[in-house]
Amino acid sequence: MNINAEFIAGKQGALFRLMRTPECVQGHILYLPPLFEQANQTRHMLTRSAINAYQQGFESIIVDHYGTSDSAGQLTEACLSLWQQDVIAQLSEIKTRSKQTTILSVSLSAALLLNNDILALIDGLILVQPEFNGKRFVQQFKRLALAAELDKQLAVEPSLDEEQINIAGYVMGKELLVHLSQQNSQQLTSRKLPCCWLEWQAADSELSTARANQYQAFQNALIANNEDCCYYAVDDVKFWQSTELEIAEQYLADEQQALLALFKRTMGAKTC
Amino acid sequence: MNTAQTSPQIISKLIHILMAVIPSYESDFWSADTELFGAIAEFDSMAIVTIIGEIEEQFDIVFDDDDISAENFASISSLAKLVFEYYG
Repeated sequence: MNINAEFIAGKQGALFRLMRTPECVQGHILYLPPLFEQANQTRHMLTRSAINAYQQGFESIIVDHYGTSDSAGQLTEACLSLWQQDVIAQLSEIKTRSKQTTILSVSLSAALLLNNDILALIDGLILVQPEFNGKRFVQQFKRLALAAELDKQLAVEPSLDEEQINIAGYVMGKELLVHLSQQNSQQLTSRKLPCCWLEWQAADSELSTARANQYQAFQNALIANNEDCCYYAVDDVKFWQSTELEIAEQYLADEQQALLALFKRTMGAKTC
Repeated sequence: MNTAQTSPQIISKLIHILMAVIPSYESDFWSADTELFGAIAEFDSMAIVTIIGEIEEQFDIVFDDDDISAENFASISSLAKLVFEYYG
């Protein structure tokens, strides 16, 4: 496997990038890691997704956000705008060196990073159980601190200063949480963008009201009069929620199918 | 508490959620009387918040943050009682 692990220049500091480049590149796919604990809970599956895409002929790219994982900086120095600008720079870099299809894969809380400038640079969008409700995401994150107080294993330490907050070991600027909580799909304006939405939904169950509302809001906001959003019901374990390391094989199969179908819709299959 | 105060459907759904989040126990481990907080090592703060989120989604309810207490998460029965207050 042709894999490059390297640091690239970000707006505020070096970003760690894992890039798998097949011999014959038929398109590019950039994976946005989700935020905070979700990044740890999904990393093993993100890697599998990237390898699958590579094997299908896609250059697959994973870049850690500034102040997270192996990228430079501290979370306290990060802000939503910076993360978005870094994503725009990564997509622009792909565009400058290739005219082939660029697909963005966004899972869970990574959806909170999406804005119109990012969407303008891609040819297709894969949404994996996206969380567009910033208010709810931040509420859940803050609840982590409340729950930690119960078992005292992850005690909430005093804030370093008035501008920062420490939740279960994640020290960050309060402004970051404020900005994340203000995110929702209605900020995305309508444009024709082929996309697919993979949603965890057991075969014998209906979609919950909250998730159905998110899907509807996304459709209303982004793809009005656009028939290009394909819905995939994924009947598999919610690996990011499990206290055990779980491999969601059905999800990987569904995602591959979605990627190839999306690629065909965006540009049509290319041959070497 | 008396489990008759909550519906079997709520208990069943809660067990389904718990089995997905904490898959390291066999299905016969789970019952209305199964103790949670302080009794199961995997039932930590992350698991609690995950379970809250899943319950809210699947029952279409919204908990108050004050509901996050050791009493409410002591057992499946106590958790079912909490859900019943919103959902029942």
